[in-house]
Amino acid sequence: MTEPEATPPTAGTATDESPVLRTEGLERRFGGLLAVSGVDLALPPGRTLGVIGPNGAGKSTLVNLISGHLKPTAGTVHVGGKDLTGARPWRVAHAGVARTFQIVKPFRGLTVADNVAVAAMFGPSPVRTPAHARREAAQVLERVGLGGRGDVPPAELSVADARRLELAKALALRPRVLLLDEVLAGLRPAEIDPALRLIDELRRDGLAVLIIEHIIQAIAAISDEVLVLHHGTVLTQGPPRQVLSDERVVEAYLGHRYTRKNRS
Amino acid sequence: METSTAAAGTGQGEKAPVPRGRRPAWLPWAVGAVAVLACLGLQSQLYSGQERTVTTVFMFVTLAVGWNLIGGFTGYACFGQVGFFGLGAYTTVVLMVHGDLSFWVAWPISAVVAAVFAAAIGLPLLRLKGHYFAVATLGVAEGLRELVTNVPRWTGGGAGITIPSTGAKAPTLWLGNDGFYLLFLGLGAVSALVAALISRGRTGYALRAINQDEDAAAALGINTTWAKTVAFGMSAALTGAAGSAYAFQQVTIYPERLFDVNITVLMVVMVVIGGSGTVSGPILGALGIAVVSEYLRQHFAQWHSFTLGVLIIVAVILLPQGLVNFVRDAVRMRDFSLLSNVRRYRL
Repeated sequence: MTEPEATPPTAGTATDESPVLRTEGLERRFGGLLAVSGVDLALPPGRTLGVIGPNGAGKSTLVNLISGHLKPTAGTVHVGGKDLTGARPWRVAHAGVARTFQIVKPFRGLTVADNVAVAAMFGPSPVRTPAHARREAAQVLERVGLGGRGDVPPAELSVADARRLELAKALALRPRVLLLDEVLAGLRPAEIDPALRLIDELRRDGLAVLIIEHIIQAIAAISDEVLVLHHGTVLTQGPPRQVLSDERVVEAYLGHRYTRKNRS
Repeated sequence: METSTAAAGTGQGEKAPVPRGRRPAWLPWAVGAVAVLACLGLQSQLYSGQERTVTTVFMFVTLAVGWNLIGGFTGYACFGQVGFFGLGAYTTVVLMVHGDLSFWVAWPISAVVAAVFAAAIGLPLLRLKGHYFAVATLGVAEGLRELVTNVPRWTGGGAGITIPSTGAKAPTLWLGNDGFYLLFLGLGAVSALVAALISRGRTGYALRAINQDEDAAAALGINTTWAKTVAFGMSAALTGAAGSAYAFQQVTIYPERLFDVNITVLMVVMVVIGGSGTVSGPILGALGIAVVSEYLRQHFAQWHSFTLGVLIIVAVILLPQGLVNFVRDAVRMRDFSLLSNVRRYRL
């Protein structure tokens, strides 16, 4: 369980300390496997929580439990004070939670602009007509750096642009909470920095951002707080620098041999 | 069933993308209106055998457009669609024979009954995907046929049932070849209109999104259960309305013919060949199959079915995404070669 006060607010950002996303004792079993267990988190608006952990640690399962794509076997999910435990994904979206998928999921038969327009048409404050939604989509595409590519089919986008489209669809929902599941995967180093700047910009606009990422430096750069999952449970949680120097984290990632104790 | 749109992803632009030319918004409506007027004008030029054939084509336009709502737009290949056709037909017969209701009352009721039935079975069945959904719906249609066969007191059972359509006992007098031509033309036109409105509106976007990725669609706030149920219900309503009108046209109906799985197969073939998930594809598919089938019947009577089958196979190999989707892709990529189309779809 994190008390939001434990994190110093980032300079220049006014944050409302009451969490917009809160989970308590979140748990998911797959048969005998405990994929996620006892995860408590509280994420206020204007904050970024980085979630790291080795493969199979339960990071994507955690996102799926919050977004409603999986139902928890125990625990609760609250968004803006509303209980959304086990709610269907579209209800969670209507409550203001947007997500991206680790494996991008464009609607391949629709143009890039129409992909984003779908989100504008069905989000929490939906735009009623497709024409209006497309205008809104154009603005969002501009923001993520896909301006002028609205008319092409998603299959013609590069890996980086497909990730941008995934983000644009999430943003067109005008969410309060943004769940980013490995949104930087497959990007070239030169493409990562602009993406991080954009995510940080969104946080400064007041979004609560939960980001799952393998690139530790990226997480450290933009997260107010980092949570480490290991075998489905929270190994540790705190400010990035503190967490990343934690011996248990190094051990979970690289194995026992690489901890400072054993190297010296 | 993989629908046309799903395959578009394999077209990793060998050519530079060309911005899509926006056609004027009124054009499809104008084409539709002209087509309906042309069909009205055509009527006086046909002798009665031809008129009946064209009437059947209109019916298949309705059926293909109806199937496309669930199988094409939404991507849930319903292999039991003929069940709604038979249900609409037998609802009309029961209402006209036992309830002494006018056809004009029984007709809309039959469409509603088919829609409500589809929504009811849709709630559990639309949780299934792919083959499972196809097989489950096939089972529902077979079940309906058995049900109708086994309540002869109401349906006449396997021996069939006849709607009184002449004389004082008839709730509605038979409409004649001219009347049914207009009835089915109207039904086909309304079906196309419904499909066009759905396609352009929010529902169309929701259905296409569901077709391509249901999890992603739900994550964007689409109530997938509701959208799928609406599509299934609308699809069944059009199919039920066609079945109802067909029953009245035939006067005497039998379960074997009204629940004939070949009718479903024809709907699927027409949609796939014309271009699933589009408005005009099923219409062109129905017209194309009907015209080719009729031509073959007249000129190669013995080899008719075989030749039609071969042509369908060739069409599906060359145009796996259907005619309309092929033309759209070809215009966009400025590549009309069938061979490169086949290559694009990696067949």
